[in-house]
Amino acid sequence: MAVPYHVLKVCGDVVFAARGSNIYSFNLSLEHLSTWNYPAKADGKPCGSSSVPQAASPAAEVPPSKRRRLEAGQGEGTGAGADIGEASNGNATAEPEVLEVGNRRRKKDKSACKEPNNTPLEKPFVQGLHATTDGRHLVAVTGSDKTIWVFEHDGAGKLIQLSQRMMPKRPCSIVITPDNQTILSADKFGDVYSLPLIPSPFTEEQKQQTSKEDNEIKSADNASKDATPEPSRSATLSTAAAAAAQFKPQANEFTVHTKRNRMALENQKLALELKLAEKSRAAADAAFEHTLLLGHVSMLTAVLVATAPSTGRKYIITADRDEHIRVSRGTPSQAHIIEGFCLGHEDFVSKLCIPTGQPELLISGGGDDDLFLWDWAAGKLVSKANVLQHAQLIESETKKIAIGRLFTCQQKSNGRAWVFVICERIPALFCFQLQDTTLQHIQTIRTARNPLDVDVVKQAAEAAASSSSSSGSLAVLDWAEQDDVMAEQQPVHEGSGLWVKSNATPNGPAVEEDINVSPQELQKILYPTESLRKTAVDFEE
Amino acid sequence: MAGDKRNKRQKREDYRAALQEEASTELPRKKFYRQRAHANPFSDHHLAYPPSPDHMDWSSLYPDYVAEESQEGEAPPVKASSVADGQEIESAAQKLIKRLTQDVEVADIGCGFGGLLIALAPAMPQTLVLGLEIRVSVTQFVEDRIKALRAQSQEQKLYRNIAVLRANTMKFMPNFFRKGQLSKIFICFPDPHFKTRKHKQRIVSTTLNSEYAYVVRPGGIVYTITDVPDLHGWMVQHFDAHSSFERVSEEEQEADPCVAIMRSETEEGKKVERNSGQKHVALFRRLEDPPFDDEPDKMEQ
Repeated sequence: MAVPYHVLKVCGDVVFAARGSNIYSFNLSLEHLSTWNYPAKADGKPCGSSSVPQAASPAAEVPPSKRRRLEAGQGEGTGAGADIGEASNGNATAEPEVLEVGNRRRKKDKSACKEPNNTPLEKPFVQGLHATTDGRHLVAVTGSDKTIWVFEHDGAGKLIQLSQRMMPKRPCSIVITPDNQTILSADKFGDVYSLPLIPSPFTEEQKQQTSKEDNEIKSADNASKDATPEPSRSATLSTAAAAAAQFKPQANEFTVHTKRNRMALENQKLALELKLAEKSRAAADAAFEHTLLLGHVSMLTAVLVATAPSTGRKYIITADRDEHIRVSRGTPSQAHIIEGFCLGHEDFVSKLCIPTGQPELLISGGGDDDLFLWDWAAGKLVSKANVLQHAQLIESETKKIAIGRLFTCQQKSNGRAWVFVICERIPALFCFQLQDTTLQHIQTIRTARNPLDVDVVKQAAEAAASSSSSSGSLAVLDWAEQDDVMAEQQPVHEGSGLWVKSNATPNGPAVEEDINVSPQELQKILYPTESLRKTAVDFEE
Repeated sequence: MAGDKRNKRQKREDYRAALQEEASTELPRKKFYRQRAHANPFSDHHLAYPPSPDHMDWSSLYPDYVAEESQEGEAPPVKASSVADGQEIESAAQKLIKRLTQDVEVADIGCGFGGLLIALAPAMPQTLVLGLEIRVSVTQFVEDRIKALRAQSQEQKLYRNIAVLRANTMKFMPNFFRKGQLSKIFICFPDPHFKTRKHKQRIVSTTLNSEYAYVVRPGGIVYTITDVPDLHGWMVQHFDAHSSFERVSEEEQEADPCVAIMRSETEEGKKVERNSGQKHVALFRRLEDPPFDDEPDKMEQ
């Protein structure tokens, strides 16, 4: 199945575009420079650094209790069966097939292995590309393996992999702080972690701690012993969690009243040993520094770092699927303090951006018909701009839009900010200009196919800052069966100096390998936003 | 079985319909409102909630506290005058919302069958108290209960200051309350979620405490009580770990009249009493936010 380029990042004179799991780099005339290939898997785990052998382990050792019960229901001698499966799996993979029974069990084990991460993708797709402001590092996020990759960029399109870190939950959005030191990762579970761009060497003790913390799913338990008391207790929010790593049943005779619950309590106690064993094994995994900053009880969709122009203070802005936009303090020790919310969306929020040149404003979009413009520090809605009506001019059937990309750049001649909007499955690019406190629709650029991503390509002349008419081009990624990407130049708006490039097929490498993905799967990966919408469900829960 | 079930549902419906019609002063009976004790806070449910606190219409919950027409002109908060059309329409719509003379200041999160609410009503007659509950029929029970109680005390006008709402507070608290609006939050006998992988569903966690800190004003108090010692430990740990809260001392805790009410009047509290179980109480005071931790290098510049 041919896969289009679906994520785009311009980094100085180099255009990075991700197709499937690989990252390709091009120069400004879209000649192929270099390719980074997702490491090939050696028996189910991504090769390379100390990544976690996730794919191999689940279900084999200690299946989650629910699954085990389900297997029991199927009627085979469960307890023994599970034990045997465990043993055989633990021993070696190359055990000869001896008994028919054993064989069958093994097969079952294997199928069980596949189930939990039910991604038939051998390699996870790149879901995001981010560059540091100096262009020396590129950060990529891959989806189903929850991994954040950091590359060093030599300035000529070549990427050298520096680190590969598997987050506890799948990152939905990441941002690099303006000082290029820290990555903030907002995940599917609603938590925001900060991690250093370049991981520092880790001591053995710290390793122990964070991995345990991981197991605890960031529970942030006490253990303030090892956190210094000085720099506010919130430090424990993150680096603590060690002590209570041991599981102990929480119910007691007073809280358990029924026979079945009492039996469950007994079982919990029995499971204790198993779990402890598992934990010590898992402790070796995911050992890198990451700090929990804040969390929503909802899937996060976007994270931003903002600076209030009046005070120079930093804030973290997060958006979630439940219509919230939260503004928290931006320093790690105070990120738990919520300064305010920007409330008013009636459907999910999927994208946030701060218009270049007007950092006091925030633009948000998602499942609503409008873009919202906020005074984010005050939590006040400034104005709205309808996008649906423009989308309906392209596709008259459109009832709902899902904003897949929001991109902003500044017009050098007058300092105005442009905002470019991509709605999922609408073959057009919507161009808005920020005029004082309103977003004015200027133009809709029809594209041949559905655009997937947009970025601005700056011309070298611009750096000289000599004339006002310095220009940039927008590169638009098109969803196509083939791998052509960007079209001939087309002015965005008279005098804006912005041009849209498309349909210029990059002289990319031929698809050297077929990516094994079903069309439905691909649709889901390329258009993930609409699925955030809530469906009217269960009335009487 | 199926027949039984339908029968049961039918009975419930008949009962509730009868209650509606009569607008009776008779208290509702719990057996027609029982519901499974757990709800998944992560699922979408079918919830009604305002986009923001400004959109919340409290008038149907506290009809006795609706502001007079004359006040309405000044009631809506000052809005930026130069705004786009969309905004103007919106603020026009907001004007239709009847404002109350005072804000809700006390929230009982997971109010269950409403025992605490009903006990708090006479204890703090000047304050608006809101119960929040995620389960549909339980919410309905409390609603009917309050309705009946109000009807019973037509003359004394009691129970006018309490109301109940169906809501998922773990997600939507900031949709109902403004920053610092609440002076007290009660978290009584929450679902303990024993399993480790369900701990994220607990109503208290360090990340969620940030939202409690947001809606509670400095000096306000979060009350917790549970019969599960480990959950108690968990809640204390997580509030302690959050630098916006400090634990209230034992003496002060015992001197607080709300603590006695919480111990004895909650439905779950009574049940624990019957089983002669333990009750663990912990109170946490919301501290003032520290000054903004400006980056040192910024300061020097």
